[in-house]
Amino acid sequence: MKHKNIKRITGLLLALALAAASFSGCSGKGGGNGADSAGNTVDGANGESAGGDSGERAMGRFLEEEVDTGVVFGNIYDMKRLEDGTIRLIGADADNGSKGAWDSKDGGASWEQAYEFPKEIEDSGDGYSDYVVLSQDGQAACAYNRIGGDAITTELYLLDKDGKARKIPYELPKSEEHGDVANLMMGICFLGNEQILVQDISDIVYQVNTADGSVKHTYEFDGSGGTHQIYTAGSQMVVVTEAEVLLYNTESGEQLPAEETLQKCVTESGFIHAVDTTDAGESMYYLTSAGLYHYKFGGSLMEQMIDGEMNSLGAPAFYPIALAVLDEQNILVAANDENASSAMGISLLKFAYSAETPAKPDKELKVYSLYENRDLGQAISRFRKEHTDIYVNYQVAMSEENGMTLSDALKTLTTEIMAGKGPDVLVLDGMPVETYVEKGILKDISALLAGSEGNYFEDIIHAYQDKQGQICAVPARFKIPMIQAGSAWYTPGENFDSFTGKKDALAKLDAGAVIEKFWYTCGAAWRKDDGTLDETKITEFLTKLKNAYGEYDSSVEDNVHTSMGYAEEGANPRLEQIQKTSFSYGQFDLAFGRANVSIGLAGDFEYGMMNAVNEKLTDGDYGLMPGQAEHVFVPEMTLGISSKSAEPETAEEFVKFLLSPEGQKINQSGGFPVEKEVFTSCVDGHKYTEQSSMVMSAGAGISEDESLSYEMEPTPQDAIDKITNLAESLTAPAFRDDVIKETVAEQGMKVLKGEIQPQEATNAIMQAVNIYLAE
Amino acid sequence: MRRKRNRQKKTHKSIRGFLWILPSFLGVTVFYLLPYADVVRRSFFGAVDNRFVGLDNYKMVIENTAFRLAVKNTFLFTLLCIPILIFLALLCAVALYKSKYGGIIKSAFLMPMALPAVSVALVWRILFHSQGLLNHWLAVVGIVGSDWMNTGNAFWILLVSYIWKNLGYDIVLWLAGLAGISTNIYEAARVDGAGERQCFFYITLPNLKPSLYTITVLSFLNSFKVFREAYLVAGDYPHESIYMMQHLFNNWFRSFSFDKMAAAAVMESVVLLALILLLQKAWDSAS
Repeated sequence: MKHKNIKRITGLLLALALAAASFSGCSGKGGGNGADSAGNTVDGANGESAGGDSGERAMGRFLEEEVDTGVVFGNIYDMKRLEDGTIRLIGADADNGSKGAWDSKDGGASWEQAYEFPKEIEDSGDGYSDYVVLSQDGQAACAYNRIGGDAITTELYLLDKDGKARKIPYELPKSEEHGDVANLMMGICFLGNEQILVQDISDIVYQVNTADGSVKHTYEFDGSGGTHQIYTAGSQMVVVTEAEVLLYNTESGEQLPAEETLQKCVTESGFIHAVDTTDAGESMYYLTSAGLYHYKFGGSLMEQMIDGEMNSLGAPAFYPIALAVLDEQNILVAANDENASSAMGISLLKFAYSAETPAKPDKELKVYSLYENRDLGQAISRFRKEHTDIYVNYQVAMSEENGMTLSDALKTLTTEIMAGKGPDVLVLDGMPVETYVEKGILKDISALLAGSEGNYFEDIIHAYQDKQGQICAVPARFKIPMIQAGSAWYTPGENFDSFTGKKDALAKLDAGAVIEKFWYTCGAAWRKDDGTLDETKITEFLTKLKNAYGEYDSSVEDNVHTSMGYAEEGANPRLEQIQKTSFSYGQFDLAFGRANVSIGLAGDFEYGMMNAVNEKLTDGDYGLMPGQAEHVFVPEMTLGISSKSAEPETAEEFVKFLLSPEGQKINQSGGFPVEKEVFTSCVDGHKYTEQSSMVMSAGAGISEDESLSYEMEPTPQDAIDKITNLAESLTAPAFRDDVIKETVAEQGMKVLKGEIQPQEATNAIMQAVNIYLAE
Repeated sequence: MRRKRNRQKKTHKSIRGFLWILPSFLGVTVFYLLPYADVVRRSFFGAVDNRFVGLDNYKMVIENTAFRLAVKNTFLFTLLCIPILIFLALLCAVALYKSKYGGIIKSAFLMPMALPAVSVALVWRILFHSQGLLNHWLAVVGIVGSDWMNTGNAFWILLVSYIWKNLGYDIVLWLAGLAGISTNIYEAARVDGAGERQCFFYITLPNLKPSLYTITVLSFLNSFKVFREAYLVAGDYPHESIYMMQHLFNNWFRSFSFDKMAAAAVMESVVLLALILLLQKAWDSAS
């Protein structure tokens, strides 16, 4: 009997334990801690996430402010905190073009010029200084490219603390790898105060004594991992590539064992852009796009001092030049920064630690986009700068790394929104905007546009306005489907029938890209009032395109297309897709006769290039791309606010910022701004006003002989008027439904390649699309 | 007095029984019954605004052509593949039961079950693509191929694949049923002069009836899993002949159509429950 009771109690306890265990799976807090970027990283400056529900809020954060140096710098070469506490920078004054050193003795508050570069190293027709670096005792080393005859040779100069120059008796050896090409210095770096590390075009590093120019050690790398960037920390040389960090003992010239923690952190947080040390190389501070880190050599901890996500450090167009750690609470960063208030984009930022400021701002604004959007990333950075109380959490669903499909991304988004954890602001590019509006996912934001009549291209900004006057989605940018060709293939203003009636007009172009580009100008005409697609128009679309395309030549995809800086095939499918639909992608092929027309989506306007191509053609001209629908534009960076947003006012403020002239000015090639004045400033080429002597020479990449040269000059008024009128004439938003687009592209490509007939393709499209539309 | 004690004993017993199933019951309640109740509630409300819409969602779903297509395909698939699968599995099981190599061959039949759906889908793609292996082989013998997964053939490919993958499982279930039949019955029948055929029809088949119910229900439920392969091969929008209920639910979820999803789920569950109950009743009355 006694045992029976024990058994019963044990059984009951077991049952309860089982029940408890089955529920424990639901009790975990999602999301993780968000820090720990280096596995064992200690996040020194950032504690709880914004809006976190923990009882005690972590305090302390570095706040950013732009330093007014009183000088407009055209460039900053290096900056150091010297042994005596002075902060010195080497820069170029944009007003008079002179280069020199500037000092600050009060932590960066005020600056005075210490000296101007002496005559020996002044920029002139004889040469120019390419790299200048500083040592801890205030000396500067300068790699001076001297132009003599047909060749350029690099000379190394040492400037003492007062700017007196002395040529270091050192000459770079001839590069074995580059044969007859003159060897040049591609980077220099002080090692202590008496040695300089010099990097040549073959990535070989020479450890040069400043006194006599003798070489103490030579370092060669195996060539893997791309360019090697060199830094020093005490007596160690730190060599950074995209993938690894190598350490060398400069006393012995030998490579040191790799440090796992450093390696891991760099792999996760990105390329190191600047390094500084305050303790003779015991530890180092370094900057990546993820923020500022502190690492003690030989240690197992990596301290993230500043989170790049909360300031300019993480902006896509922020390129750090130099880092100076004044003390543990004050840091200076010189950078090429597109958000800088300075006219030349060179800024000096001070990060000061504020113990009273919460580690993360109270408010969190979640911004979501399917694909990475550089314009948005840059805008977020500028918004953060002005709203230090708001943490903008930018989430990109589909990246190269995660390999997520569109369908999976949208399902995840649905789950998050319905769980009340969704984003506040959505960038709707690639999303079913109309479905979201219909389902009430998006909030009416028409009030944000009230009183702005006339400031924007009205038809574009109201692209998603419904019959009740509600606006739930607003394009912040747009692209224009454009065509450029000689008069034999294109007459400005001609329609789709006339254009596609010319056999071979589209010959030699990429079949997939042709379908996708014409999808934008034709798809908008396919929709019937009942929401279904017009079968006749799809067949007509495919038949006419096939006529204009002619016979498919399988060698085309290998031979055509310029390669001036475009992504390698398969390297980044999204980037590849954007490039293939871009207007500029085909301009070289057109100019050099490999294609009869250049068609695509134009998101910016480079008059010089446009004009140079026209001049190569017979009566070349450009205009709107013909299509079954007329006056079509492609909405880009379409913004919407979630109706379930936890921060609706902040979300509105952010959207308002993106549509403001300040937000619209940000241009990372994501499309034209919808604000008229900013649009004009984007196309008028005002940036070339004082650079009329500059000549742009662009090569096609296929043949060395093929290059287009044009002067970089302001756009003539008639060209500004023409492009503005084209933008003003746009009334119809392109049909942006990726499911239908993909189906059309798949079948359309088969038609152009001659694998199936247009009617067969139409049937396949209708079959797939009808189910989709019926859902 | 004794009756009272008996009643008390019975009560204790039922409480004890209840306590034993309590953890499982709680799990079922939390993870199935309550969510299901919420689905039923949602089927009468708007998707995002939670506005009461009465039977509108049901009406919308019934009128939806994509829903009708999915229902038609799912029923057709189930009606065709389950009898074929059960029959084929029975034939194989009987043959294996008598074979001395039955054990080894049984394992071979089970192999497809061990293959991940992703691998199967990849093989399909290689095989049935318009420029895939099958068309290449056909071209070698002078036959013009087809874009198999984008024509009506897709349905038959899916059906064969389902049978190939589930045959082994059903064979094992049939073999278990066969093992449960006493050899004494066969011996007695043979003494009375019954041949192989009579033994099969008058002893084996009647004794396998309880197994048939289990196998039918399990095959029926497994038939829904064929969506995985169809999705992995052809994505969200496959050829219309293999557009199943799960495709529809999947796509509705993506487009926030929770209202339609809830109404369709309620209708589907009612139909499934009715079918299973009918099946059970038919068995009960037969036995």
